[in-house]
Amino acid sequence: MRYVSQRLLQFFVVFIVVTFIVMVATRIGSADPVRDLAGGAVSDQQIARVLNDYPYLDQSLFLQYPQWLLDFVTGNLGYSYTQSQSGLAMFQQRLPPTLFMGFWAIVIGLAIAVPVGVYSAYKRDGAFDRGASYTSFAFISMPPLVIAVALLFLVVTRTSLFPTVGGSSYIAPWDSPWGHFRNFFIPSLALGLGLAAVWSRFLRADMNLTLQSDFIMLAKAKGVSPARVLWRHALRSSVLSLITSVALQVSALIGGAVVVEQFFGPRGIGDRLVFAIQQNDILIIQAITAVLVVGVVLANLIVDLLYAVVDPRIRHARKLG
Amino acid sequence: MTIALDDTLTTSDEPEQPPAAAKKVRSRRQIGFWFGVSWLVLLAVHAFFAEWIPWVRGEQEVPRVAGPDGELIRASGYRFGPGLDFWFGSDALGKDLFARCIYAARLALTVSIVSIGGALIIGGTLGMLAGYFKGWIDRVISVLVDALLAFPAIVIAALVIGRFDSLQASDIEFLGFGFDWLSRRWSVTIIFLFLSIAPVARIVRAQTLSLSEREYVLAARSLGARTPRILVREILPNLVPAMVAVIFTGVAILLAAEGGLAFIGYSVKPPEASWGLMISENRTRIDDAWWATVFPALMLFLTVLAFNLVGDRVAKRFDIRETSL
Repeated sequence: MRYVSQRLLQFFVVFIVVTFIVMVATRIGSADPVRDLAGGAVSDQQIARVLNDYPYLDQSLFLQYPQWLLDFVTGNLGYSYTQSQSGLAMFQQRLPPTLFMGFWAIVIGLAIAVPVGVYSAYKRDGAFDRGASYTSFAFISMPPLVIAVALLFLVVTRTSLFPTVGGSSYIAPWDSPWGHFRNFFIPSLALGLGLAAVWSRFLRADMNLTLQSDFIMLAKAKGVSPARVLWRHALRSSVLSLITSVALQVSALIGGAVVVEQFFGPRGIGDRLVFAIQQNDILIIQAITAVLVVGVVLANLIVDLLYAVVDPRIRHARKLG
Repeated sequence: MTIALDDTLTTSDEPEQPPAAAKKVRSRRQIGFWFGVSWLVLLAVHAFFAEWIPWVRGEQEVPRVAGPDGELIRASGYRFGPGLDFWFGSDALGKDLFARCIYAARLALTVSIVSIGGALIIGGTLGMLAGYFKGWIDRVISVLVDALLAFPAIVIAALVIGRFDSLQASDIEFLGFGFDWLSRRWSVTIIFLFLSIAPVARIVRAQTLSLSEREYVLAARSLGARTPRILVREILPNLVPAMVAVIFTGVAILLAAEGGLAFIGYSVKPPEASWGLMISENRTRIDDAWWATVFPALMLFLTVLAFNLVGDRVAKRFDIRETSL
């Protein structure tokens, strides 16, 4: 329990530090945040309206922050005066595409990484292992932007299956599974291939260690079949550390999503964030960054706690410490 | 010294390998390393001496080349594909893409190297102090690192660079200085430097933590050496290998970040050249002018790969565990 409360405290500290940094960053070089929010050169009436809705905006930053925090916690996610849209409506519109893209990217990453990693560890230093090692090293050096260009050049322009550059739009899978696949496959692949490279290397290294441990030797000595040793005994203990790595990649995934959404679409939260930065829509910027930080840190927190639930060794170690 | 290092390489890397296989593994690694080194040398020479190299045209030059009938033609509208006149083809305005890729390399390399250098000085000092003295400095740095790692850097970078633009346009003064000099180039460098401090500090801290437990540090201390002397003469020299590895991996990460940032429009503005910007300008025309998108992406990939190859080798050679930057 002590461990859980420690992690929760850490969660709040990180949340406050990041959202405060973002708040300060949105005010750099700005003489009048109220005017920025109202959309630059606008009537006094408009400015009066902004001030009426958010009276704290012309106070000092240290006074603004707690009031913004209160607003955020009570569900007031800001308002975009240039788009005439509330923060909540914006999230309802823009969050689903990004969530689907991230989800499919993780699925693709794992679907490639697990078989490749396990087989590489099984046939260590074999031809497959070496090939996989070089390929994954190359993919690690490919930022999502480069993978996106490669997919565009090698797949999208050569088939008529997928929408062209920037043409992907959001179609929910329950409306049209095929339409969903067409629009989401290429952007998710652009994100997922990089993840697959990181995870397959990670899993291979971890499995190599596991395969040398005593309980694997025992399982082999008992006459358990190699496939069963590999997939049941060895993979089970390596999967735990893989889960941690998945959570660690969430932040990188969001960074990649910002680029990929601009490249292929579908226009999700990353695209909206870039647009808000261009428009200087400070409340929307703050709301999106805050939600993203909560997402990233929460993912790490959940995995960390889950880890203890699944693995009795860690549960005991933490209780003692 | 080098002989001793060679020993640690062969023994620690692949312990169970017979000597012949170990040699094979080593020579394979060497290929990657030498590919990385030669690519980087070639690219750096081109990028930094572009004006004096005859086969690199000007960044903004719209060259005229001899057409089939001998008359001079301008290459507007992606007229030329990759070939003898235009190695990488020409872009929408008829500029030479090879030259623009080289000038983009100059931008990307200077921005990343200067940022990592600055981050190494600031973050290295912080990390060394945190690792040596522990205590509250240590805790503050850990919290900051956690906070920065919890957030995609590209978003903070885009946000701050957008704000720096209005800072440059405004007449705000700080300590009597205006912000006219704050071009995009400087904005990107400053924000990259700032974002790299925490990860660099974390790596240096971890290294210092283990170094400060070593016998020779204890020996120096018991001989009566003062703390500054221990830090500078005993610990700093032993941090150098880790720092070299950090430089290479860090530059690779910043190059990728610069590409992404330029792509979403927050690195240099047109008409200046940047790989990410070229991709974003030309990608909608990939059907009829693939070269204008593919070559910048290829340059970005090969350069990141080269830095990673060299950095990986340095890290393996000095047995530095992979740490996320």
